[in-house]
Amino acid sequence: MNPDQAPLLRVRDLVVEFSTEVGVARAIDGISFDIYPNETVGLVGESGCGKTVTGLSILGLIPSPPGKIVRGSIELMGKDLTAIPEKELRDIRGGDISMIFQEPMTALNPVFTIGNQMVDVLTQHRNLTRKQAHSVAIEMLDKVGIPAPGQRILEYPHQLSGGMRQRVMIAMALSCGPKLLVADEPTTALDVTTQAQVLEQIRLLQDEFQMAVILVTHDLGVVAETCDRGIVMYCGSIVESAGIEDLFNHPCHPYTEGLLQSIPRLREKPVDRLPIIPGRVPDLFHLPSGCRFADRCSKVTDRCRQEAPVLQQLTGSTAVSCFNPVA
Amino acid sequence: METLQYILRKLLTGIPLLLGVTFISFLLMVYFGPDKTYELLGKSATPEQIEEVRHQLGYDRPFIARYGQYLKELATMDFGHSDSTGEPVSGLLSRTIPISLALITPGFVLGNLIAVLLALVAAYHRSSWVDRFIMGFSVVGMSISFLIAIIGFQILLSSSYGLNMFPVRGWNMSTVGNYLSYVTVPTLATVFVSLGYNTRFYRAVIVEEMTRDHVRTARAFGIPPARIFYKNILKNSMIPIITRVIFSIPLVVISGSLLIESYFGIPGVGKVTFDAITTGDQPVLKAVVGLTAVLFVLAQLLTDILYRAVDPRVTLK
Ligand SMILES: Nc1ncnc2c1ncn2[C@@H]1O[C@H](COP(=O)(O)OP(=O)(O)O)[C@@H](O)[C@H]1O
Ligand SMILES: [Mg+2]
Repeated sequence: MNPDQAPLLRVRDLVVEFSTEVGVARAIDGISFDIYPNETVGLVGESGCGKTVTGLSILGLIPSPPGKIVRGSIELMGKDLTAIPEKELRDIRGGDISMIFQEPMTALNPVFTIGNQMVDVLTQHRNLTRKQAHSVAIEMLDKVGIPAPGQRILEYPHQLSGGMRQRVMIAMALSCGPKLLVADEPTTALDVTTQAQVLEQIRLLQDEFQMAVILVTHDLGVVAETCDRGIVMYCGSIVESAGIEDLFNHPCHPYTEGLLQSIPRLREKPVDRLPIIPGRVPDLFHLPSGCRFADRCSKVTDRCRQEAPVLQQLTGSTAVSCFNPVA
Repeated sequence: METLQYILRKLLTGIPLLLGVTFISFLLMVYFGPDKTYELLGKSATPEQIEEVRHQLGYDRPFIARYGQYLKELATMDFGHSDSTGEPVSGLLSRTIPISLALITPGFVLGNLIAVLLALVAAYHRSSWVDRFIMGFSVVGMSISFLIAIIGFQILLSSSYGLNMFPVRGWNMSTVGNYLSYVTVPTLATVFVSLGYNTRFYRAVIVEEMTRDHVRTARAFGIPPARIFYKNILKNSMIPIITRVIFSIPLVVISGSLLIESYFGIPGVGKVTFDAITTGDQPVLKAVVGLTAVLFVLAQLLTDILYRAVDPRVTLK
């Protein structure tokens, strides 16, 4: 993070709700964060805490119905994306902001070649003929490390492995020079070796393309290896946001601390059992009135059960939403 | 070239299927079908006479030989002469099949086309009042029987209680105007009863395709809705749609024409089949059953070939 620069993306008090048969679920409850140009921010948290919904909100892709952005703003270089017409949003999707998804196996259209799909994206955002776009697409495939791109581009998604398909997605995402890439668990569905390769590829291309990356993951190890900064989410809120050093060396929220302790490779000495965080994530229909982590927290006080803490800047790069932060 | 080989290979795999289907239908015809002996001889025949007639009819030959004879008839399209009219069966069929096709095709095509359009509208506005209205209408359509629909349209359009614009019964294809006036009421009835089922089916297919991951990907890359609709939704819906359309053809031809033609007194192949069943006209029945089997196998073949055309995941193997 470079505080002298203006943020690329500024999210303020974002609230996203889903209306379901059992009631209204508030999947995102008033989150605020900034993303600066060229930085990599890890968005971490357990499954279901709202990481994907956050990513989708940025692109205006919340499925509606049942979902809806109820409140808040998402500003890209000063322009509020929640207030612009769909047509303008379409130019931003795949243009200034790209998103890649967790499931490479199903993310591409099975009945068209990958070249055809890449050319569609390129001609949509850049002033190219289909023929020119085809050459650009081959270049992009080459950049993401796909061998024989001139041949591969004529193939259908089912002819490619999961890792290859995710590379195709990355090539597609970067083909129009985005300023921000939202990568939603891009390696979760891949095997370990491929995971490392794909992450490395994203990192290399980030330098080349000068873009910011929001790396959504539930794997703190990945954050430690790749990110400049981490945002920890719990149950639809941000509980802690900090530079990578601070986050791993001085976690301030008890939840972050718990998450860190559950990564085996960060500990010096092996222990018998992984310390897991006791208790369960509350469901979105029965949220406690105070802090959402209260029931699972070792440092809980009466105040935590009555009043919800808000995110507050501490010393250094850390902001935390806790009444009794870990010292 | 590859495609040609594929078609040839598929045709070869169609042969055992054809043998199986014709074998079973022939078996049923021989053991449960009409026996001409007593019709020809009356009740007080001597055993010798019976023996004689059964020999003439070929009933005393072994089953396999008779089945072989049947296959030969099927291959040469020569089924002999109708028992009841003496007309050659091939002539009878080539006269009546075009009538049935002219009768059924408009209803079949419209019933599917309108259903796809309604399904698209419903799926696009899913869970809004438009969707509920269309789906409610479908349920109503589904719960009305064919016969009631026919009678209803006849009263509305062909009787002095209604508009009285169309003939009640019969058939005439001599001019386009005549054809239209005779085909309208049967077509409306067919569309009316098939629309509900078809719409529900197509809506389910389209909604499923709309919620696929690759649709979300396309949206995330700023692809405009019209292109997503064509490339992601429609193209991927083609397999289930093709399957349904083609596999319903033999059923529609047989059952649809059987009912409509006997009700409207239209001299198509359905009427011929109906008469052959009631009079036990074996040569005609054998021809109709055999051709139906061929139709089923061809439908299967056609779907396989079309699958290949729309889905690259279907290999040539
Ligand atoms: N289409 C939807 N309909 C209803 N609820 C949804 C939908 N998508 C997400 N949610 C809710 O939003 C919450 C956050 O989901 P998500 O962002 O996918 O979590 P994750 O952090 O695992 O990516 C979930 O608890 C889920 O109940
Ligand atoms: Mg997710």
